[in-house]
Amino acid sequence: MLRVCDLTMRYPNGKLALAGFNLAVAPGELVVVLGGNGSGKTTLLRCVARMLEPTAGAVWLGDVDLVGLAGERLRQARLPLAMIWQQANLVRRRSVLANAASGTLGRHGGWRTALGGLPPEEVPGAYRCLEQVGLADLAAQRAGTLSGGQAQRVAIARALAQRPRVLLADEPVASLDPEAAHDIMRLLQRLAREQELAVLCVLHQLDLADEYADRVVGIRAGRMVFDVPSGELPREAVRRLYLSEAA
Amino acid sequence: MTAAAAPSLAQRGWGGALALALRLTLLIALVLIVVQAALVVQARPQDLITGAKGMADIIRRAMPPDFSELNKIWWPTLETVDIAIFGTVGGVVMALPLAVLAAENVTPSRSLYYAARGIIGFARAVPDLVWALLFVTAVGLGPFPGALALSVHSIGMLGRLFAETIEHMDMAPIDALSLTGARRMQVFSHGIVPSVLPTLAGVTLYRFDENIRSSLVLGFVGAGGIGFELLSAMSLFQYRLVSLYLIVTFVLVIAAERLSALVRARLA
Repeated sequence: MLRVCDLTMRYPNGKLALAGFNLAVAPGELVVVLGGNGSGKTTLLRCVARMLEPTAGAVWLGDVDLVGLAGERLRQARLPLAMIWQQANLVRRRSVLANAASGTLGRHGGWRTALGGLPPEEVPGAYRCLEQVGLADLAAQRAGTLSGGQAQRVAIARALAQRPRVLLADEPVASLDPEAAHDIMRLLQRLAREQELAVLCVLHQLDLADEYADRVVGIRAGRMVFDVPSGELPREAVRRLYLSEAA
Repeated sequence: MTAAAAPSLAQRGWGGALALALRLTLLIALVLIVVQAALVVQARPQDLITGAKGMADIIRRAMPPDFSELNKIWWPTLETVDIAIFGTVGGVVMALPLAVLAAENVTPSRSLYYAARGIIGFARAVPDLVWALLFVTAVGLGPFPGALALSVHSIGMLGRLFAETIEHMDMAPIDALSLTGARRMQVFSHGIVPSVLPTLAGVTLYRFDENIRSSLVLGFVGAGGIGFELLSAMSLFQYRLVSLYLIVTFVLVIAAERLSALVRARLA
């Protein structure tokens, strides 16, 4: 579903963040990317989501290459791709349901949604997405009142409302306590399997990667170091991932 | 090594003397500025003493306030409030789109950014009394030129504060919403507006409070409301009526201020 081919990203300051990176994530698969700070993990996700323009390479979403697209064509092509972040990034003054339903906006034009209204036909679907993440009973509550774990679940519901085929997750449990972190990872694993989602998730927690991922990819200095099933993590290679570049 | 790192006594002495001289120079400069201001405004404290008798005479003639005229004052009062309401609403309607263009983080282009900043700056730079004089010339006497003057002048303050509010908002939820595929207008109405609305409402209410005060003064240049009646009463030496207008003005200003503070506290 998602194929990254020879992806290279060099920042304007000359730093090479990704060097010919290759990766494929199949539907129903949860792939975790491990790597130290500055290794290129977040740059990888941002290039895949086309928040950054890669220097070279291709990002295939189904049979569409996102690289080189811009404007309305990029917006349309990117609709099957959803993303969650380290912070939930909800609109705090809107209700939980409105935040979840905002994931449907990309499918609707017209004045109603342009003026702040929600498409009425999408509201039941958004409610079902909240049910899937176990927060339907908080639908009317203001998003700003939620705990970190609850807010992250709403962010996942918003992503689901988008009806994605690929879900990118950039350190989604970094600001959560261990129990909430396991909850979120279990949820991502279940959604990947039940909804045939291709999930690409950046993490720092080796134990979570080992427990929930189907495959684990190691990245260092913008290059892939390993790509193995989660039960076969090469411990020495993992240790080296987190050594400084100079070491 | 210690001797090299620490400044010598002589060095410290010179440094201390220099700092003292600098402070004295600043103090003298400050005194000179205040003295020149007093000279330019032709300050004559003795006139306050000789003028006290005249003031006391006016206050005596203004008492008691002429409450028999109370039934005639409600219309200019309503005019004053409505000038402020129209001025504030008009200001918001014009300031909001300008603020979006003038906020660095959401403006669609640099040229629109500079154009919007220019309009906001110009609206603020020209005082509301000057706007009122211009509109009195353009559309004649009455409350309408006052309301127009407040609308245009409000653009300056509202546009600037609205733009700063948008610039300081957390952009992460906006980026997240954009990535769902939401269009620019949807991101604005579903993300930006709900995030900044309480602050914008607070600023608007503060401006309304200011506009009530301004609308009183605008009457002096023929822009209607209590100010116009107050000036007429003073010109006709009807000081008991003047004191009534001043009481109504006081009540109006305090009421607007309290209401504005109350609603802003609820929104916070």
